[in-house]
Amino acid sequence: MRVDMVWDTLPRGNWQKECVMWLNANHLPSPKTGYATFFPNTTDYNLSDSPPSWSKIPSLRHAMTLWPQTPYFFFLDDHTIITNPSLSVESHIVDPTRLESLMITDVPVVPPDSVIKTFSNIPGDRIDFILTQDKDGLGHNSFILRRGEWAKYLLDAWFDPLYRSYNFQKAERHALEHIVQWHGTLLAKIALIPQNTMNSYTAKDEKQASDSGIYKDGDFVLYFGECDNPPERNCELEMRPYF
Amino acid sequence: MSLSRSPSPQRSGGWSSPGLTTPYDGTSRQASPARTYFNGNANNVAWATAQAKSAEVRGYPQFSPKNQGFTRHFRRLSMKLPHFTGGNYSEKEKLGRGRPGPAGRVKDILSWVGRIFWKLRSRFALVVGVLILTLIFYITPLHQVWRRSSALGGGDKFVIILAANQGGGVMEWKGPREWAIERDSVKNKKQYAKRWGYELEIVDMSTKKRYAHEWRESWEKVDTIRNTMRKYPKAEWFWWLDLNTFVMEPSYSLQSHIFNQLSENTYRDINVYNPLNITHPLTEPYLDEETLSPVGDGKPESINLIVPQDCGGFNLGSFFVRRSLWTDRLLDIWWDPVGYEQKHMDWEHKEQDALEYMYQNQPWIRPHVAFIPQRKVNSFPPGACGDKGEDPKIHYQPADRDFMVNMAGCEWGRDCWGEMYNYRQLSNKLNRNPWEKFKDWVSDTFNRVFHGKKPEAKKDGKKDSKKDEKKKDA
Repeated sequence: MRVDMVWDTLPRGNWQKECVMWLNANHLPSPKTGYATFFPNTTDYNLSDSPPSWSKIPSLRHAMTLWPQTPYFFFLDDHTIITNPSLSVESHIVDPTRLESLMITDVPVVPPDSVIKTFSNIPGDRIDFILTQDKDGLGHNSFILRRGEWAKYLLDAWFDPLYRSYNFQKAERHALEHIVQWHGTLLAKIALIPQNTMNSYTAKDEKQASDSGIYKDGDFVLYFGECDNPPERNCELEMRPYF
Repeated sequence: MSLSRSPSPQRSGGWSSPGLTTPYDGTSRQASPARTYFNGNANNVAWATAQAKSAEVRGYPQFSPKNQGFTRHFRRLSMKLPHFTGGNYSEKEKLGRGRPGPAGRVKDILSWVGRIFWKLRSRFALVVGVLILTLIFYITPLHQVWRRSSALGGGDKFVIILAANQGGGVMEWKGPREWAIERDSVKNKKQYAKRWGYELEIVDMSTKKRYAHEWRESWEKVDTIRNTMRKYPKAEWFWWLDLNTFVMEPSYSLQSHIFNQLSENTYRDINVYNPLNITHPLTEPYLDEETLSPVGDGKPESINLIVPQDCGGFNLGSFFVRRSLWTDRLLDIWWDPVGYEQKHMDWEHKEQDALEYMYQNQPWIRPHVAFIPQRKVNSFPPGACGDKGEDPKIHYQPADRDFMVNMAGCEWGRDCWGEMYNYRQLSNKLNRNPWEKFKDWVSDTFNRVFHGKKPEAKKDGKKDSKKDEKKKDA
């Protein structure tokens, strides 16, 4: 397997089951794609009292244990779908030359005005963590992690109980932004790529999106934002047209 | 004897039996003509005589007959001995020739020795050459070059980081005692590093504003190690030492004491000795095999941090850290403001407690940490971890010749200078060279016999202070 797609899901009603079925149908592990899929539940992991979104970290650690040979892990949360299955993760994002052309260097790591800027001269093959930014933070719902000692370091440091007990406002998102700015050994292996490469937002979220963030036809991945806040939004309604 | 059957027509038998009519009429041409031949009949005698004669003329025998070689050898020896033919001895007997004189004259002995030397000159030259080379090796700094170089001794792979100037006199006065402690400690490490070719980095731990309270007091150790790693790019292992430490046995090198058998000298499974009662190994099912294993991958190459444990947990007064990516990350993540803000009131031992916390909560750390029995690099004096100094796991025992003593916590209620002085004296005493041991034995015996007491300590003090002064002047 070259890539493992990790879809973190909250166990919720029938809609979610359908979603999973559809995803499975469209992205089955096959010799052609060489991709595996993994659907952990947020309740699988012991988070004490922390918000369930923290479960993405142990689920990634779990995926790395279950697929010991897979080099890349592509995390998507349950409000994200792949809209263009013809694109391959390797050629579209991960390949070093492609990645170098995509990397956004020398910008504040945490928009809009972080003092810490991304490094400007990391070669593409030294990157272990590929992220996007939206308007005011790092994208937390769609990212790619490469297996290795550094990945274990990132995940374990990110999952430190002290960050959970600190009660960041946006949970693991703020924790990630914090550690990425304070610890250069983490920043050294991160690449930021344009948002529409793997994290396009719908029109409903355009206020949060960065300049290049609104979905266009042919984009790889689409995120539906906080669509589980009735009554303004409804995930089922929003996502169904894309199936 | 009738020679009717001889081949030669001559009466004497001709060539087959020469010498039968050789005129042996008593006139001898040399001093020892008589040659008695005990073996044989007439034929043999005649032939042998002729052969001997021709050998004399020529100066060497015609050929060496196979089965006569041995006896011939004897014959030659016997020929050389002086031979008495009653009265016909022309030379006067010289008394003393070939025999040692009445008083064993020095000149004769010397000339005998000289002859031996000359004879065995090549072998002696070899021995003397080796001796000279050894002397040169040890008198000049050559032996240090040997010990330092990475190909031979491997000394430059080790850096000793000594934390000096603790506090720098900012919060407390640094008086003569503190200066004396620092001087002794630094001198001890300098001698040790010089002896084995290690690098020594003496770092200034004065209280700096950026490390003042509410920031990262005591975490500057971490920054210091990082800077030192940058400063010595060739070095592999870095040994952090607090100031109140003393190397008791400078004859132990780090390589022979610890690193050459790293897996035997350290243990990875903290359950061997677990004063903090840390659950080990981890049990979360989502972790990978190496992280779940109690000994990591079991290979000494993956050990990047060697920490001793005392009665209360990890002890960072004397520990080793290896240059590696893992170490860079550890040194980076060790201090974090979120962690610090929540925990610095709980973490009494600051970065030491932070390390214990990280060991327990961040799984990526465990596979690369090894523990070392405390008395290998961090023996405690009585008073630390127990008043009597009897714990065999913790306290320094002179009989076992522990490597290093760490006078931890001596600034809280004990006498740092007194302890440093006593351990220095003890170390000097234990490591006396044989000549000093002999002198001490003589003086002890003398005192015991004549004065009925053993004022050893006093004598040692005097001797050692003299030695110290000499060393200072040097």
